Parts: sequence; C-alpha cells; structure tokens
Amino acid sequence: MTQGQIDREFAAAALDHLDALYGYATALTRDRMAAEDLVQETYLRAVRAFGRLLPDSNLKGWLFAIMRNVWLNQQRHDRTGPAFIELDAEDDDRWRFLESGGASPLAELEQSETRVRVRAAIESLPPAFREIVILRDIEGFSYQQIATIIGCPAGTVMSRLGRARDRLRLLLVDRRQGVAT
Amino acid sequence: MNGCGDIRDQLAFYLDDELSDLDRVRFEEHVRSCHSCSDAITGERSFLELLRSDGRGDSVPRSVRSRVEGVLQTATEAERAPADLRRRVEHLVGVPRSVPAWRRFAVASMAVSLALLALAFAWRTSAPEAVGPSEFAVMSVATHQRHQRGSLPLEIETGSPEAVKNWFGDKVPFLLELPTYQEVSGQDRLYGIGGARLVAYRGDYAAFVAYEMSARPISLIVTSTTLAPPSGGQIVVARGLTFHFDVVDGLRVITWSHRGLTYALVSDLEERGEDSCKVCHAGAPEQDFLVELRVDRITGFSGLQEP
Ligand SMILES: [Zn+2]
Repeated sequence: MTQGQIDREFAAAALDHLDALYGYATALTRDRMAAEDLVQETYLRAVRAFGRLLPDSNLKGWLFAIMRNVWLNQQRHDRTGPAFIELDAEDDDRWRFLESGGASPLAELEQSETRVRVRAAIESLPPAFREIVILRDIEGFSYQQIATIIGCPAGTVMSRLGRARDRLRLLLVDRRQGVAT
Repeated sequence: MNGCGDIRDQLAFYLDDELSDLDRVRFEEHVRSCHSCSDAITGERSFLELLRSDGRGDSVPRSVRSRVEGVLQTATEAERAPADLRRRVEHLVGVPRSVPAWRRFAVASMAVSLALLALAFAWRTSAPEAVGPSEFAVMSVATHQRHQRGSLPLEIETGSPEAVKNWFGDKVPFLLELPTYQEVSGQDRLYGIGGARLVAYRGDYAAFVAYEMSARPISLIVTSTTLAPPSGGQIVVARGLTFHFDVVDGLRVITWSHRGLTYALVSDLEERGEDSCKVCHAGAPEQDFLVELRVDRITGFSGLQEP
C-alpha cells in the first residue's frame, strides 16, 4: 500500500465525520459562522497532523479532540469573549415544515415537534453539559474517549453526564408523554 | 445479592455499556426477576434513544462541505509529488528540536530558509502529471530573467537583510521578514543578499530581493496572497506550508503562501550530488536552521495517540 492510498483513505474516512464535527462545533461555538470556520480549521489541522495519527487510532475521537483543542486556543486568544448569535431561523425545523406547505402528515408534525423540543432542551444546557451530551448521547463516545477529548478524568465525565441527563429528563420526559408513541 | 438501589446506581453505566462483564451479568440477573428495575431500564432507554434520534443538529452546509473537501483534496494532491522529492523535503524540515530563544526569527523567514535549501538540493525534474505554474510563478521567473539581463537594476544594494526590510517598510503594505540566521550565527555563508527593488504585479507592487547562493543568482518575490494565490506544479506539504514546485524556461521556481503573503523563489541552481551532501550533513547548526520551521505546530494532544 502506497502513501497516496493511505491518504485518500484518510480523506474519505475523515469526511465521514463532517456532520458530526459540525454538530460539535455548533455546540461549542453556538455561532454558525464560527462553527463553519472551526470545522474547516479542524480539517486543516488534521491534515497537517495526519502523520502523527497511529494506524489503529480512533479517527473520529482524534478529530473531535483536535476540534476542541482548536476551539480552546481560539477562546484563549480571543478574550473579547465568544459571540452568542443565534442560529438562523431557517435552520429550524419548524420553518422547514411551514415551507413544505402544510403537506406533512400529522406524524411528521409530531416528529418535527419532538425534534425541536429535544434540540431546544440540549441547547438550553450550560456549555459543559451540552458538550457531554453531544459526545455521549449523540455521538456515542465511551466515557474514556470523552475524557481524552475534553481532557478530564473519566469520573468527571460520568458525574457531568448524570447531571446533564437529569436536567434533560426534567425538560423532556413529562412533557413528552403527550406526543410519544 | 444486588439490591434495587445498587441496580439503579448502575443503570446509566449499563445502558452506556460501561459495566464490566461480571457486573453486567449480575445486573441482568437482577433485572430478569425485578419488574420495577426492568421498567426503569425501559424508561431510561427510551429517553436516551429520544436524545439520540432527535438531538442531532443539522447537516453541515454544502458550502462548508466544499471547503473541507478542498482542504482534503489539496492534501491528497500533495501526494502527487514524486516520493523522492517529498522524502527530501521531509528530511530537510526534520524532527523539531529545541532552539535557543535568541535564535528565533519570524516564521516567514524560516520558510524562505527552507525554500532556499530546498532549491539547492531537493529538486527533481518535473513529474508528467504536474499541473502548470501559476501566473505569479511565471511573473517571478520573468523578473529573475530581466534582472539578470540588467533591465531591472536594484534600487537598494546591500548585504543586510535588515536594511532590505527597512527599505521596503514604507513601500509595500506588508512587513517583509528575511532570514538572518547566518548573520546571527556567524557561520559560513550558504547564501548572501545582494539588494532589492520594487516590481509591478497586477496593478500593485511586489517586493523583489536578489540573493546569490554558491555564486548563482536566486530571486525572492513577495506579494499579497490575494493578488497571487499559489497553485500548480508539484506540491509538497511540509510543516504546515504547501510548496508548489515548477520549472519555467529552464528555471526553478517554488511558490508558497504564509500569513497572507505569497512567496516565490527562482533559481537556476543545478543539483550537484556532492554539494548536496555537504550542505545536508554540514552539522548541528544547519539542523537548527531547519528546525525553526515549526509553522503553526499543533500542541496539546499529549493524551491522544501520540507516539
Ligand atoms: Zn430491582
């Protein structure tokens, strides 16, 4: 196997995680433009650091760790503080549904409403809780992988995850009974 | 053996697949005979599935996907450069070592140093699949030729990089950092500066600096990346910089971009095996010269898959 093949494989594999990284970037920055730039910068860094990735490494975890590191460095350098511009309304599922001219069946409306509510609940979490829910419950990283990505003990991951889920349960579980299947 | 309280404490670990085999067996044993705990698991599992299925954000915008594909494409294209050329450049930039603080210079000047040395002994004939040179590379070669013919005389003649930098100070809208390693270290000169002048490029000025290396002329041309995005040629990525190697009119030109500026180095240097080895193995000072090329090095991944 030549170096070129390895690199094309790396490019294809790295691209598979693009949506996941964008989701994480959005959770970290809460700003659409910043998230887009963070995604691009993460891939730039990954390409440059590719040689340091061992063959049996977890590529997804490595990319997430790079993203978090880039973001942390940006926070340190940008002491004016992060911008908290809301995501564009057109990205919201409610608007997507309205644009479809009301043709969606009731099930789709319920599905859409659930989605909006779940995402709003996650959005409402404090940053550290939001991050841990994205990494564990959306992206499926193990406690140890999360500990590596965010640079804290696994015990901290567990307790933080527990508290984040407690909050989400309060926000979602009772209200959900109306629309749940 | 296990009470319901223990089971509830382990619930999240069980659903997150974080229990040891033994604990999981005990957990499942209890749950098989306990409806209350079984119901708790069902409820928590559907809650986590709700998060998983409906908590995911939007897909990445198409424009961002294109940008990322561009990043990966460039990195893949870098592999088109002949393996031999790539190996030599990688050898040149070497493994970073610590360097005394007094020897630190501007990053841009390091890149110039790298390219000068790369010109001297990292060159190979153009690969058949290489794309043609950029407009800036062609202009840089023309500038080099016109200067050699005497139609572009220097506007300042000096052997001092500092003097050249100051001369450009009020003439171009950027700060031109030039390598000063030899002046600082006092070692034998690998190359020397002759002087500089302004040249026109796309309705603006570019900086032209004349060097000589082993009594052969080398031209450095610098302008803004907005005016002259580097492209084409054989691509080698080293230390975070993307170098484009071309041959134009029998002259060698390397272009690269760093921090908003695009650089071109033009030379007719032949590769001479013996000299290359001499330069390459000159010893520790030469290595120090090269290890300063740590452009934008990534740090802070010590906990992660580092060899
Ligand atoms: Zn029980």
